[in-house]
Amino acid sequence: MAEVHVIGQILGATGFSESSLFCKWGIHTASVGLLLPCTFHHVLRRHLGPLLVLGPGAAWKLLSGVREGQTQVDTPQVGDMAYWSHPIDLHFATKGLQGWPRLHLQVWSQDSFGRCQLAGYGFCHVPSSPGTHQLDCPTWRPLGSWREQLARAFVGGGPQLLHGDAIYSGADRYRLHTAAGGTVHLELGLLLRHFDRYGVEC
Amino acid sequence: MAAAGPSVFLLMVNGQVESAQFPEYDDLYCKYCFVYGQDWAPTAGLEEGISQITCKSQDVRRALVWNFPIDITFKSTNPYGWPQIVLSVYGPDVFGNDVIRGYGVAHVPLSPGSTSVCENICFRHKRTIPMFVPESTSKLQKFTSWFMGRRPEYTDPKVVAQGEGREVTRVRSQGFVTLLFNVVTKDMRKLGYDTGPPDTHGILGPSPPQGLPG
Repeated sequence: MAEVHVIGQILGATGFSESSLFCKWGIHTASVGLLLPCTFHHVLRRHLGPLLVLGPGAAWKLLSGVREGQTQVDTPQVGDMAYWSHPIDLHFATKGLQGWPRLHLQVWSQDSFGRCQLAGYGFCHVPSSPGTHQLDCPTWRPLGSWREQLARAFVGGGPQLLHGDAIYSGADRYRLHTAAGGTVHLELGLLLRHFDRYGVEC
Repeated sequence: MAAAGPSVFLLMVNGQVESAQFPEYDDLYCKYCFVYGQDWAPTAGLEEGISQITCKSQDVRRALVWNFPIDITFKSTNPYGWPQIVLSVYGPDVFGNDVIRGYGVAHVPLSPGSTSVCENICFRHKRTIPMFVPESTSKLQKFTSWFMGRRPEYTDPKVVAQGEGREVTRVRSQGFVTLLFNVVTKDMRKLGYDTGPPDTHGILGPSPPQGLPG
């Protein structure tokens, strides 16, 4: 099996109007795009070999590392960037390319009473080429009705997603009305192993 | 894996803790240590170090220069647990007690792997890493720590290299440390790892915000 190492940091965030920020993150690997009927699947597998077509979500296995986490809360004293320096170290084994890992992020702000308010959702794909990558992940948050917007402006809170999968899948997005949040900055290093053995060019 | 082939790879890291920028503080020193996974072992060099105490330069940079060397070699069978360098910067408060002025962490750069020319490749990285201190979560603790002159600090600085258990900490970022790295790897390509093309842009990591005094 081919192996993927994702090693890096969630550096921090800029562009949020709130000051004390933290981030909940997770990594998602199931394939969400291509769903082939089972019979077709077997035919393709016979013709193309195991690396190209697989059942949804079956291809990726996390060998070591943690799949999700939450950063510290940073209140910056210099500049407007909140720094988290949150380490990520993941080791995947994969039998297929479908469902390449994507990182989903939720940025929250904490006020002086310890109450948390959503500041933005975002996702980015783990890069597919080896090496070190600087990633900027833009975020958005649900707006809700004008009543909810007014309530958020005065008392805080605001609407949140019930199911986190809308952050990284495009399936139910069309029903949402959203506003822009800030940007999360990441630095991810990618090490690939044995991809060339299967003829995969990354 | 072929019996004749290598089973471990080597990672040689050298460089320096070059300088720091802490607009609010002076007379600082820096400790570093490495945190790495179970499959990793240092084969040569020093895992920890304590720098001299430096004060700010009198020019416009207001830089705290340490120029403190790092030189270590690791061996491993698995890139999981790739070494991270943990920095902690201390300085005296008004009573002369040493208090923490910032913790920071960065991964040792992943080597870009070999080129067609030679097996090993050497290149230079410059990283500016943000430094933060933990804060008390309650107002009462904040007051008592101010009154007693004892700031919250981590009992083990290595927690900043861990992803778990961070959600309970509140921090304040208040400075930057600049690190220089030279990284050489051996036998990673032979073990089947692809580390990508050599990084040519050189400067990685966040840069201090513009308009910083110092």
